[in-house]
Amino acid sequence: MAHAYVPEIAVDREGNEHEVQGWQDDFYGGKLGFWLFMLTEVMMFGGMFLALAYYNTLHPQDYIEASASLNRFLGGTNTVILLVSALTMGLGLLKMRTGDVKGAKLMIWATIILALVFLGIKAVEWTAEYHHGIFLMHGQMLPESTMAFGKKLFFGMYFTMTGLHGFHIIIGIGLMLWLLKRINAGKVSTEHHILHFNIALYWDIVHLIWVFVFPYFYMIGAGDVAGGAHGH
Amino acid sequence: MVTNKIDYKIERATYYKVLVGLLLLTAVTFVQPYLFMTGSTFLAQMIIAVVKAWLIVMYYMHLKGEKLIGATVIFALFLVMVFFIIVIGIDVPNFQFGAESHITSQVVDHAANAAHEAH
Repeated sequence: MAHAYVPEIAVDREGNEHEVQGWQDDFYGGKLGFWLFMLTEVMMFGGMFLALAYYNTLHPQDYIEASASLNRFLGGTNTVILLVSALTMGLGLLKMRTGDVKGAKLMIWATIILALVFLGIKAVEWTAEYHHGIFLMHGQMLPESTMAFGKKLFFGMYFTMTGLHGFHIIIGIGLMLWLLKRINAGKVSTEHHILHFNIALYWDIVHLIWVFVFPYFYMIGAGDVAGGAHGH
Repeated sequence: MVTNKIDYKIERATYYKVLVGLLLLTAVTFVQPYLFMTGSTFLAQMIIAVVKAWLIVMYYMHLKGEKLIGATVIFALFLVMVFFIIVIGIDVPNFQFGAESHITSQVVDHAANAAHEAH
């Protein structure tokens, strides 16, 4: 249900009425606020990376061996997909800012499709790992299994962090669908595109997190021991 | 709105240049363990990741020229680094409770040894 905007009125000492300036068009404020939110994301993932690095220092060899067993081909494909999706999202925003609303919507749809492909590949990867007995509270990850303790910690962090990242991707898809709805309703336009700008920022931080997640999990074991396509 | 005064072609060219840079760095990520710094893959991978992150933050996230937000981001990253230095740089090298901890494998070995000695 739409509500009409009712301006707030301030009265000065002489009794003159003045309309209070609204903050709906405060582009910089909206951007700054979203950056502050993104810093909380950095802190959340920063804490997880800290735990990951802490366990790593205690079990360096287990980490390298566990990393080598991950499928670098699928992980690498997802890295490129996310990279291209960051481009489509950025170009979409650029089109919106220069008045090409239809082009902007097409780019958002392209980003959604790439995000779904990313999730699909992740699902294939997790399923393969599950069938190899590697999943949270399952098979080799159970306390009584003989798998090296450091590897259990590595895979525990792997599922937790890639899972949380995947959750961010799902949220991102939801945000983009909502953005399309707002564009269609005329609420987001070339003149008022802060929502588009901030959702593009969100997608960039999702990409940014993967830029660190990918090498830490998939690449630190490369070269030392056999891995890659022979992984799970 | 000031942000609307942009040249589409120039901005698009920047996006593509950064894409090429990121793709090249991703390729370097894949070949690094076999080509250079093979003894310190972790360090090399993190350096590449930081360069990629810098490109994304500056150009895709439009932080170039944003002094206040840029300073806020640097301050937040500095805080994260402080915690990393305290925990990984100071606490871990001086870890005194390996035998009792649940996050080290020594606790398993310790228990196994105790059981062995009991027999």
